[in-house]
Amino acid sequence: MSLLQLFQWLQQTEFATALRESALVYPTVMATHLTGMALFGGMIFITDLRILGIAMRGTSVSDVVTQFRPWKRFGLVLVATCGIMLAWSKAEYYYHNPFFWAKLTLLMLVGVHAMVFRNSVYNNTAELDRAPVMPTNAKVAACLSLALWIGILSMGRLIGYYEVTI
Amino acid sequence: MLAYDPSTNPLNNNEWSFPLLEIIHIASFAISIGTIFIVDLRLLGIGMRRQSSAQLLKDTAPWTLVALAVVLMSGPMIFSSDPNMYLHNPGFRFKMDVLLVAIVYNYTVHRRVAQSNPTPVLGALVGGVSLALWVSVVFGGLFIAFT
Repeated sequence: MSLLQLFQWLQQTEFATALRESALVYPTVMATHLTGMALFGGMIFITDLRILGIAMRGTSVSDVVTQFRPWKRFGLVLVATCGIMLAWSKAEYYYHNPFFWAKLTLLMLVGVHAMVFRNSVYNNTAELDRAPVMPTNAKVAACLSLALWIGILSMGRLIGYYEVTI
Repeated sequence: MLAYDPSTNPLNNNEWSFPLLEIIHIASFAISIGTIFIVDLRLLGIGMRRQSSAQLLKDTAPWTLVALAVVLMSGPMIFSSDPNMYLHNPGFRFKMDVLLVAIVYNYTVHRRVAQSNPTPVLGALVGGVSLALWVSVVFGGLFIAFT
């Protein structure tokens, strides 16, 4: 089975068809995807600006990162679950959509970003708070994170503008 | 609306301007509502408990305000692309009603209560209402495309 055939099969499943054709459930999943973005994306944005010393300076980096963590995870689960449902319901269309693949590529880079910076930045916040000036690699991590997520948001919105005729 | 012809609007004459504006609108609402959610989670007693609600409000308020300003500039621009459609759209009308309530609530009740470091019951009530209002605004906005 080729990747295209897999995506075609996904789109033709009963679940995908019902979701795609529902006048209420489909937009509700999309609205939940957006609401989750406010929680998840808002916290990512503030975390990065805190590391850059721009936002929430009254709260330590440790307090921001550790207390956001469970809510970011919850937000990620919410956003990803809805996102997967949306992509599943139109899998064949998405297969032909370059913005979908661009978004997935950026999401993989987010994984790489996490592996590269987790130990030195996000799990090392007590050290960051003690440092007289914010270490450069933490600032680089924050800037890259902002750029990646703005890119993901943009590609996500543009998926809806690319017309695919099957 | 009398002499306004949307086909003369630059938003309708450039392939990229409308989606770009939407991306700006979405990014800024995520920041404004996301920062409000941070205070709400504290008011509800389920997040950020090492800080007081007053401290969190003080820390996040400038970002809420700046992002909200961007939202309130990009929104009317999007609206200008097709005013008649929006004015007759139930999702849009619902969104505008709730948005007005949400903004007034945010800068009166929500702010005052967060500044006063309220009792758990009052905090939960005020945080819960705030959460419900802003989630409704997002849902109203999305449903514009489906109603």
